[in-house]
Amino acid sequence: MKKYTIIFLFAVILLPSCMDDPPVLPDTNKGNFEALWKIIDTKYCYLDYKHINWDSIHTIYEQRVTDSTEVFAFFDLMGSMLGELKDGHVNLYSSFDHSRYWKWYTDYPANFNSSLIYSNKYLGGNYRIASGLRYAKIDNDSIGYIYYGSFSNGFSDTNMRYVMTYFKECKGLIIDVRDNGGGMLDYSEQLASYFFKEDAITGYIRHKTGTGHSDFSDPVEIKTPAHKTLQWQRPVAILTNRMSFSATNDFVNRMKMAPNATIVGDKTGGGGGLPFSSELSNGWMIRFSASPMFDSNMQSTEWGIEPDVKDSLTKSDEAKGYDTIIERAINILKK
Amino acid sequence: MKKNIFLSIFFLINSLLYAQTNDEQKYLLTSKTNTFGLSIINLTDPYISPLSYSGIGIRYDNENRQFLSPQNTKISIQIKLNIVGGLALNPAITSSMTYLGMNYGWGLHYHFRPITGLQLMAGGLWDVDFGFKYIARNVNNPVNIDLATNLNLSGVAVYDIPLRKRVLQLQLAVQSPILGCMFVPREGASYYEMFELWNLSDAVHLSSLFNKRGINGIFSLDVPFNRSVWRFGLSYQGLKYTANNMVFKRNELSLLIGTTFDVATFGGRKNHAPGNFISTKE
Repeated sequence: MKKYTIIFLFAVILLPSCMDDPPVLPDTNKGNFEALWKIIDTKYCYLDYKHINWDSIHTIYEQRVTDSTEVFAFFDLMGSMLGELKDGHVNLYSSFDHSRYWKWYTDYPANFNSSLIYSNKYLGGNYRIASGLRYAKIDNDSIGYIYYGSFSNGFSDTNMRYVMTYFKECKGLIIDVRDNGGGMLDYSEQLASYFFKEDAITGYIRHKTGTGHSDFSDPVEIKTPAHKTLQWQRPVAILTNRMSFSATNDFVNRMKMAPNATIVGDKTGGGGGLPFSSELSNGWMIRFSASPMFDSNMQSTEWGIEPDVKDSLTKSDEAKGYDTIIERAINILKK
Repeated sequence: MKKNIFLSIFFLINSLLYAQTNDEQKYLLTSKTNTFGLSIINLTDPYISPLSYSGIGIRYDNENRQFLSPQNTKISIQIKLNIVGGLALNPAITSSMTYLGMNYGWGLHYHFRPITGLQLMAGGLWDVDFGFKYIARNVNNPVNIDLATNLNLSGVAVYDIPLRKRVLQLQLAVQSPILGCMFVPREGASYYEMFELWNLSDAVHLSSLFNKRGINGIFSLDVPFNRSVWRFGLSYQGLKYTANNMVFKRNELSLLIGTTFDVATFGGRKNHAPGNFISTKE
């Protein structure tokens, strides 16, 4: 009995060694560089998908880091390293700046002119506002037009009920999500639900299960439920440009499966990775893509979604006060 | 003279009757203790940050203890409630974590009285532990919830210190979890995936000494005054657990002050208060 008691006591003392604290890197430039590199190495979800050799990037940048580098220069160096990921969801936040990669839209035509949207031809000065939705009838009241600028601004079913009632005589509906940089996935699902007659699997999501670049869980279905009481049964056009990013990208992906929907404009900016946050010993916060999202065919949505009808804003139309993409959508809806 | 004798006999008979009534029926007293505390807290939650956050909090403890029955003064039931609220900062003071914790426990203890003035209790306590941690600046992982249920080993030692005018009571109560179940999400799994897409895989874990160790100790001194007994104490809670390759820690050191008193409860059809107990319900 005494022998078993001693063995038990040893087990009690030794077993919790599996609860060793992970090493905390020092709050120095080199320590924070290693911590930042390791966070991306173990938690970022697109290293393999984007064929990024993160080890060689460590080699390149390690040589440039010294503990005597001044704080602004060190921040810019870390921002530059994160820029290698080419991901709009990757940012380093400090008390004086936040790094960003914006080439997913700055390298492309804007395809959006807000002064056109708010001209009398479209929203005008007397548009209606229902929470985050700005809406008006256009084209001699034959088409309903909604501009939704951010999925961080919510709306309710009651808002949408009034909007649909206001548009009840219209032949079609335009939802303009150009320059909508994203927000909450909940609003993406909610807005899409009004355009489905039955529940549909519109995508998948995975999460990392280990530190390896390809350690992922099995895909989990993302469904877009058909709204039980509010459905728009007529044609709808979704307008997109390169700044349609993140939750907007998710919304466009869902609407690709909607029965009466047509995506018009430019390819979306992407941002298919659900971002998470972590931080460094110096208090800087890092945001990074952690959970990859896919369309219904298990294709990544990180690089964006192609429209059904590609079109661009032309300077000649702009000069005449026309938004080429809206006009194209009107023609599609009136067919 | 005759009148005095008669009155003396009358009062003697009454007091004998009262003593007889007292000997026939016993009532359980519930010891109730309420304490408030100021705490220093230290939290590590790798799901929301790899860094340890330190700060201050306030704490409330409520404890009730009662023997099982008037005939059984060997086993007591204990009910505990603990609520903590705190604000902690990261080492660089660039981010704050809001913390709210609650613990509700139900225990049974066996009482030993080895020597006069010393009471020992040994037993177990089953508890439900809840914690809410929130870092406002995080995206998609700003919150993590601690949810666990544990079976704890529990021991209490109470020592009476008789002074000239009062008896102080020194108490040391210790408990430690040995078996349970806990919610710990995968590091990369979002609450969106877990609670909107209902994918809770690998989120519920068995806990035991191999992955969870903790100690919850309170050292206190009860000081009786004229009409109340005050409790002054020091409390330490240390908890460390691991699941899904993450190591979580929660440490709390508190200064406590409160009161403790005994109450007898009456209610229902059969448990009536004696006639000389006056209720506001009458």
